[in-house]
Amino acid sequence: MDWDLVLGIARFVVATTLLLLLTIPTAFIIIQMELKVIALMQLRYGPNRVGPKGMFQSTIHGFKVLAKEDVTPDLVDRPTFTLAPWMVFMAAAMSMLVIPFAPGLVAFESSISVVYFFAILGLSVVGLLVAGWASYNKYSLLGGLRSAAQMVSYEIPLTLSIVGVVVLTGSLSFTQIIEWQLQHGWAVIWQLVGFPIFFIAATAEINRTPFDMVEADSEIVAGFATEYSGMRFGFFFFAEYVSLFIMSAITVTLFFGGWLAPWPFPAQLEGFIGTLYGLFWFFLKTYLFVFVAVWMRATLPRVRVDQLMGLAWKVLLPVALLNLLVTGVAVVVFNLSGVQ
Amino acid sequence: MAIPGGGIFKGMATTFRNLFAPKVTRQYPEERPQMSERWRGRLDLIYDPFGEHKCEVCFQCAQVCPVEAIDMSGFDSQGNRIRYGMPEIYDERTDPNAHRRAGLPARPMRNLARWDEAIDEPWVRGVVDGYGGRPESLVAIFTAVQERYGYLPERALRVVSDRMTIHWAQVFGAAGLGGFRLLPAEGHVITVCSCAACRFAGGDALLKELSAELGIGPRESTDDGAFTLETADDVGAGALAPAIRLDTLVYGPLTGEQARHLVHERRRADVRATVRAGRAS
Repeated sequence: MDWDLVLGIARFVVATTLLLLLTIPTAFIIIQMELKVIALMQLRYGPNRVGPKGMFQSTIHGFKVLAKEDVTPDLVDRPTFTLAPWMVFMAAAMSMLVIPFAPGLVAFESSISVVYFFAILGLSVVGLLVAGWASYNKYSLLGGLRSAAQMVSYEIPLTLSIVGVVVLTGSLSFTQIIEWQLQHGWAVIWQLVGFPIFFIAATAEINRTPFDMVEADSEIVAGFATEYSGMRFGFFFFAEYVSLFIMSAITVTLFFGGWLAPWPFPAQLEGFIGTLYGLFWFFLKTYLFVFVAVWMRATLPRVRVDQLMGLAWKVLLPVALLNLLVTGVAVVVFNLSGVQ
Repeated sequence: MAIPGGGIFKGMATTFRNLFAPKVTRQYPEERPQMSERWRGRLDLIYDPFGEHKCEVCFQCAQVCPVEAIDMSGFDSQGNRIRYGMPEIYDERTDPNAHRRAGLPARPMRNLARWDEAIDEPWVRGVVDGYGGRPESLVAIFTAVQERYGYLPERALRVVSDRMTIHWAQVFGAAGLGGFRLLPAEGHVITVCSCAACRFAGGDALLKELSAELGIGPRESTDDGAFTLETADDVGAGALAPAIRLDTLVYGPLTGEQARHLVHERRRADVRATVRAGRAS
């Protein structure tokens, strides 16, 4: 009996289960945050009736969605229509596997976790496209096509801006990238151009305002989700907020030192306390970026659909390439590379 | 200072400040707005299913209005025109409009408002003073005014209100109670008595006869404006039942034939008078 294999499998099962369970409070917290923060920014009070300070509003929304009738229109392509929400959600949930929450606290340690992460996250576009296609509805199809065009376009500057970090740190593993940042300081200091590109592209990638073309409700009803109801719609909704969390987590990991405490800068404690400390800083920083996303949603109007592609191809892509070139040259000239 | 994209940060700063700004939402069931003592809510006039105003021009709202801001004109439930205002102001509430709203053919209005007619104001004041200016004597004053003018001119009611120093809404309200004309009658007024005695003696048949003869119903005038038909229970001629009153003279007891004869006589006399007037001029 290969006990290492058994232990590995057991660890993997436990870790994935925990991560799946983690998505539930994460989505509820972010939805609650979105309701409340946007309300406050619009000079309203927002939810303040359900639970203390309206804390359980999003939870109640979740139960409401569960209790709703799940309508399947007559002419939809049933298998794909049923599968699409699952695909979108699984893309988000699976990409969570490689997020390092704290020292040693990562579900699936891999030396190419960056590649894995962006490959899996890119799968969600398939789910959206399938949802749009299967719904047999022009608005759904428009939403699906928009999502395909948008996410494919923005994936390129997104990936290129990460390559800057990868070249700098000489690693494709999130854990090693964080360890590099422990020695050299947060990567955002070294990637002053790369980070804004990453941030904009990531916002577009997860269909957040101002790039929420996919479900632009004033133009195409609800986009790919038009025909969805009940818990299937809930899955899309869930996946959207989980991917917001994931993107924030990856932003923190790649550019803001992951679990590293900002003071003393950058720092990491040892042992169990160190794990908790890392967890604390990781979640604090992640939710800070979630807050920024919510803040942007409260502020910015939607980008026009005809300007969307132009921004990706004409601005972000050249700048990302230039950033990559400068980073590469600098790494060689100043011998900064983490590669031993 | 036009940095591309600078507006984004300006906007973000604004929303961030708003995060801590006082909120404008009113938590309604707990927080009630402070309403003025005199707040009466939104005022509206409602229509019945036939498109007519439900307002009966009773002046109760005008009487309780603390700032005396309410004025009205219209028809009471008996169809009496009450309180002629300036036609351009009250046009919306006139009968033809109500009919038009109800999808019925609109009747042209007759006897449009005469709110500015000349009256003998000192005489009206004298009448009021003669009764000691007491509100209890309003009906007596109205009777006196109607005897002189044939109806209650609005101008006269204004004078009564001023002289008695009571709110004119009360004066108009009292004038609308019945028994008084609020508009000059057209042509000769034929009043069919509808008291118990007259109806018992055949007053209803008499009214029907006259309606057929003149081609109009009660409270209407003939198209040429020569006669106005109406009913009243105060002709005061029980011994003459069934009685009618033609202008000021009471006739009775009458059969339908006699009543028709009376109308014909009156018409012929009018024609003669017109011809005579034509010769004279």
